[in-house]
Amino acid sequence: MSDAPQVRLRVLLFSTLRERLGSSELEVFVPAPATGSRLLDQLAAQYPAIAAYRPVVRLAVNQEYVPESVELHENDEIALITPVSGG
Amino acid sequence: MEFRSPTVWLRLMHEPLPVAEAVSFLQTPEAGGLALFLGTTRRWTDDRETLSLFYEAYEPMALAEMGRLSDEALRRWPVRRLCLWHRLGDVPAGEISVLVGVATPHRAEAFEACRFLIDTLKRQVPIWKRETLSDGQNVWVEGIPESKPR
Repeated sequence: MSDAPQVRLRVLLFSTLRERLGSSELEVFVPAPATGSRLLDQLAAQYPAIAAYRPVVRLAVNQEYVPESVELHENDEIALITPVSGG
Repeated sequence: MEFRSPTVWLRLMHEPLPVAEAVSFLQTPEAGGLALFLGTTRRWTDDRETLSLFYEAYEPMALAEMGRLSDEALRRWPVRRLCLWHRLGDVPAGEISVLVGVATPHRAEAFEACRFLIDTLKRQVPIWKRETLSDGQNVWVEGIPESKPR
């Protein structure tokens, strides 16, 4: 186990992921520096439902799409956006 | 939730969309053309019967994303009025789920801006639908995956 400091992240879920995980919000601890891809890799390892969407899920931070290279901070509003189907 | 300025009206509503309100907002003497697109719940898809659709949104981001789309439409076309409305919750077959209205000086740009707004909304705005079929099934509709931002 590493002693690297951990960043506590809150992740919002919607539609199919919310239903499959039975929760609209996850709390995750990611070693610093926490990036979008680290977060997604860790969630995919932990939850098969998220792993299934790993290639197509988009990350939103503070209500805007961001690249996975983004660095995440404790108070960010993070959301996983599976392919949308509004309209 | 909604955002309203003298030219742009964005709405996420849990009730039926009041189309007449949109039309009166869109009418202005500066515009000679007004394009209105209404998306409705289609009952039949091949031999599958849809009884209703349930729409869920990540509401604050959906409104923010609709704002970014309308900003882009305002940059690209001489838009005088713009409405982008989406209904959430249950939408029975035949009822309206989405309304896009654009008023411009001439008709060609109204059609173009309207087309851009509905096509981009369907790819970018974080709203999802779950279908209730006549055989009792309830399924989330998967959109087409978008390339990820880099």
